[in-house]
Amino acid sequence: MAFALQVLMNALSLGSLYALAALGIGLLFGVLKLINFAHGDFITVGAYALIVPSAATQATLMIGDFHPLILIPCIVVVVVILALIAEFLVFRPLRNASPATLMIGSFALGFVIQNILIMIYGGRPKAVGIWSDLSLGVELMPGVEVPKLQLIIIGVTLVLMVVLVLFLTRTKYGIHMRAAAEDFRMARMLGIEANRVIMLAVAISGMLAAAVSMLFVVQTGILDFRMGVSLMLFAFIATVIGGMGSLVGAVVGGFAVGAVSILLQTFLPSEMRVFRDVFVFAIVIFILLVRPQGLVMSRASRERV
Amino acid sequence: MLEVKDLEVRYGRLTALRGVDLSIREGEIACIVGPNGAGKSTTLLAISSVLAPTAGSITFDGTPIHGTRPEDVARMGISQVPEGRHIFTSLSVEENLQVGTATRSDKAEMKRDYDRVIETFPILGERRKQSAGKLSGGEQQMLAIGRALMTNPRFMTIDEPSLGLAPKIVDRVYEVLIDLREKRGLTLLIVEQSSERALKAADSLYVLRNGAIQLAGKAADLQDGKEVHKAYFGFSEDHEGEVMI
Repeated sequence: MAFALQVLMNALSLGSLYALAALGIGLLFGVLKLINFAHGDFITVGAYALIVPSAATQATLMIGDFHPLILIPCIVVVVVILALIAEFLVFRPLRNASPATLMIGSFALGFVIQNILIMIYGGRPKAVGIWSDLSLGVELMPGVEVPKLQLIIIGVTLVLMVVLVLFLTRTKYGIHMRAAAEDFRMARMLGIEANRVIMLAVAISGMLAAAVSMLFVVQTGILDFRMGVSLMLFAFIATVIGGMGSLVGAVVGGFAVGAVSILLQTFLPSEMRVFRDVFVFAIVIFILLVRPQGLVMSRASRERV
Repeated sequence: MLEVKDLEVRYGRLTALRGVDLSIREGEIACIVGPNGAGKSTTLLAISSVLAPTAGSITFDGTPIHGTRPEDVARMGISQVPEGRHIFTSLSVEENLQVGTATRSDKAEMKRDYDRVIETFPILGERRKQSAGKLSGGEQQMLAIGRALMTNPRFMTIDEPSLGLAPKIVDRVYEVLIDLREKRGLTLLIVEQSSERALKAADSLYVLRNGAIQLAGKAADLQDGKEVHKAYFGFSEDHEGEVMI
C-alpha cells in the first residue's frame, strides 16, 4: 500500500511536468497549427535565467537568489519575452507557410537557442541548488514519505490547469482563442484579430514553459543546455497519443506517458532499466496503431455533418 | 453601398473571377446565382478579404476594402455567413454568438442584439448551453446567421443559405432574411445555386458563370426567366430543345 502510493506520487509528479509541457505545445498547435519543437528550449532558458550569465563551471545565482514572489514573475517574464521574440522573428514571417515548414523553423530556432546558451554559459552541465529544502520528505501517512516538491509539482499543475480552463471558458479572449483554434479563418471573418490571439497563445505557452522550468530545475538541481529537449520529446509524444489538437488529450497523454515511464522504472528488472525509454516508445507505437486519432478525440473531428 | 469593379481572382494559374462588377445599393437584397464552380463563393471571400484579388477594386461606402484583412472588413460592418456555415462546433451555442461580438464593446446593445437573435431563433435560446456541433443542419444555419448578426453588421453576405436544408426550413431562413431587410434596413447579398427562390426574394439579380457576370438586372424585370436561363446555362431553352431532338 505504502509502496503503491509512493509509485503513484512519482507517476503523478512526472506526469504533471509532461502534462504542463504538453499543454504549452497543444495550445500553440491549436491556434497556429505549429508543433513548436523549440518549446523545450524555452523551458531550458527559463532555468538558465536563474543564474548569472557566465561560462564559469560554478553557477552563481542571479534571479535564483531573489525572493520567490519576485523570482517566479521574473522567470515567467523572461520566457514569455523569449516566446514573443520567437513569434515575431520566426513564426510570424512563416505564418502562411505549410505546417511542415513551421515545424522545421521551430527546430532551427531550438538549435539556435541551444547554441546561444552554449556561447553564454558554456556547454557543461552546472549544479544549481535552489529551494533544496523542498526535496525533504513529508509524511503523507505512517510509513509513506514523499518529497514536498512532488506535492508542489502536482499542486501547481492542478492550479495552472484550472486557471487555464477558466480562462478558456469564462473569458472573452479565451473563447476567442478556442474559436480561432477550431476555425481560424471564420474567427477572423468575425473580427477576431489574428495577431492578438496568436500572441496571447504564445505568451500563455511561454508561461506554462516557465512553470515547467522552475519545477524541473528545482527537482533535478542541474542546468544543461539540452535539459528541455527530452522533456519536449515526451511532451510531444503526450500530445500525439492524447490526440493532436485536444488540450484534454494533451493532459491525459502527459499523465499517461508519466505513468508508463514510472511503472517501467519501478518494475523493469534493474539491468533493463536503462532501456526504459525503448519500452515507453514501443507502447506509444502500439497506442498509435490501435488508436491513430489519439486517446481523446478532438471535438473538431467528431463534428456532425 | 458596395461597389465591385473589374474584380479578378486567381488560384495559382487558374482564374476564378475575370472582371466581376457588382453594384449593391443600401437596403436592397441582391442575389448572385450561378452553377457550381462559377465563382460565387470566391466573390464573397474576396469581399471579406479572405482572398486577395489580383486586379480590380472593392469599395464599401466609398472606402476601398480590397487588400485589407478579414478582421478589418468585419470591423467595417460587413458580416459573412460562409459556405458550409463554419459553426465553431467545440463551442456552445451561446459562445458562438459571443464570438460574433469580438469587435464590439457596447455592452447594452450587445445584450439587445443577443435577445433579438434569440427572439428570431428561439431554438438557439433553448440550446444555448449545448455544444454547437450537436445542432441539426437547419439550427446551425440559424446559428451562423445569428452569429453574423451579433457583429451588428450593415451589410451581410450569405453563401447558399438553402444548401442541405429541408424546404420548410429554407422558407423560414428566407423569411428571416427578408425581415432583417424590412425591420433593420440590413443590406444583403445572397448567393444561391438555384435562381427560383432567389428571384422571389431579391431586388436585383446577378447571374455568374465561368467567373464573369453574364446578366445583371432588377429582379422584377427578370421574372420571365428565359433570359436568366440563358445566362445561367450559356444557351437558351429553345436551343436546348433543339439539341435534345
